[in-house]
Amino acid sequence: MEPNEICYLTIAETAAALRRKDISPIEIIDALINRIKVIDGKLHSFITLTADLARQQARQAEQELRSGTDRGPLHGIPIALKDLYMTKGIRTTCHSAVLENWVPDIDATTYTKLREAGAILLGKLGMHEFAFGGPSIDAPFPAVRNPWNADHVPGGSSSGSGAALAARLCYGALGSDTGGSIRTPSSHCSVVGIKPTYGRVSRYGVVPLSWSLDHAGPMARSVEDCAMLLQAIAGFDAKDPASANVPVPNFHAALKAGIKGRRVGVPRAGWFDENLGIDRQTETVFNQSLDMLKSLGAIISDIDGKPFSIARKANQTILVCEAYAYHEKTFQETPMKFGTSVRRRMLEGAFLSAADYLTAQRARAVLNEQITANFAKVDVFAVPGAARPPEAFAAMDPNEQNLRPNFTNPFNLTGLPAISVPSGFTDGNLPAGLQIVAPPFQESTGLQMAYAYEQATEWHTRRPTL
Amino acid sequence: MDQEISLDGLRKMAERAGLKLPEDELQGLLPGVNRSKKQATELRGLVAAGNEPASTFDLAGSARQ
Repeated sequence: MEPNEICYLTIAETAAALRRKDISPIEIIDALINRIKVIDGKLHSFITLTADLARQQARQAEQELRSGTDRGPLHGIPIALKDLYMTKGIRTTCHSAVLENWVPDIDATTYTKLREAGAILLGKLGMHEFAFGGPSIDAPFPAVRNPWNADHVPGGSSSGSGAALAARLCYGALGSDTGGSIRTPSSHCSVVGIKPTYGRVSRYGVVPLSWSLDHAGPMARSVEDCAMLLQAIAGFDAKDPASANVPVPNFHAALKAGIKGRRVGVPRAGWFDENLGIDRQTETVFNQSLDMLKSLGAIISDIDGKPFSIARKANQTILVCEAYAYHEKTFQETPMKFGTSVRRRMLEGAFLSAADYLTAQRARAVLNEQITANFAKVDVFAVPGAARPPEAFAAMDPNEQNLRPNFTNPFNLTGLPAISVPSGFTDGNLPAGLQIVAPPFQESTGLQMAYAYEQATEWHTRRPTL
Repeated sequence: MDQEISLDGLRKMAERAGLKLPEDELQGLLPGVNRSKKQATELRGLVAAGNEPASTFDLAGSARQ
């Protein structure tokens, strides 16, 4: 198999090829590292490449598989981590000068679980500084670029995860999502990402942005791959105070059940037209994806979008207060170590009151009830992955994001599982995503619908020209 | 909040919070702070006296550690 063809495989395809002995874990690592060296200079998706460790782990995987020890579908599969997942003995920067040379002495639970499943660590990925603000243009590491057009943003904050996957530089990645940071880069880079239910996946060893809104989750190039990664990292963890002790179903087994008769609610009225409203091309792509779901047997209906629209205010208030509280000491001692974008946003939290924060948490309870009440009428919600195509770096306007509907952060506020799947392209070959949101702990329902849509379309098979 | 925070007000609030921020930084912060305050204030219309915060102390969670 040609090295680039190896890189183009999905996790599921690679797992099968490994067991057929068509390829070896070492060949895979060599192919990916060579590709990273050739391509990543213009994308900057990796901050740290762990080539030696990856080769060592690949040799171990090869020996184990040869001797009949099979740890499952991730055995021998290279993955990469957003650079806020703590890795013992490996620099974890959060893309910030504040932690530029920080080497943690623990592993994140999710990384431990991936290692136990036999996955290989290829490296640590670029992101928005501390998972907040915009592209980090004044951080010690360059801002990540979009593989579909390097003049455009890849979306964030898990920007390196989205870009590396789209560029075929790794097979799977972990992102984190506090207001859309898994789903936005998934949408902007035409890959798949799932923000699981709050509590489903451990946050232990993930540098916090906002304790009550942070979610850890997987990103990959297919829904099936995402389901396999989620399977490996989901489950109760006593080290995470928010971890939910609920059974973990077999996500992969549920994928092919079909969606005939599934009721899809679209919260359009009162939300999609908020302020500047959704970008028209993005809305056209979204409407086409609804037509596809309908043709597959889903029943589409409208639900009230107003509570979803208000959710942004509560999400942002809680986020800046919790983020500032976490970073307060650094802001008091060395505020200018933060990049401009994240500093300006986080400092807003210093000037809100305890009453502001608690009112937002009270509003959260109210909005959660209003939003989840819709599940009496529909099985899932469908919304775009983002309100507009990825913007050009040269035209970035930090204020504009507040003038468009935010299609992701209501599901951080409510903790609902939400998956973004590639759903087409707008002018300039810029990707769009379809987001499916399911009831709490029903990731399988969302994965099932996303899988049916993905298999009926060809968007996920397209590759950027690099 | 009925009125916007002024630059002078922001400077005093920053000092109370133990923040030493240059003047141009305070100026850059001001629009975002006022937007955040306005947003937080708007949420007050959504809650009734009986609504408790979504985050509550979880004693059962503490016990399992």
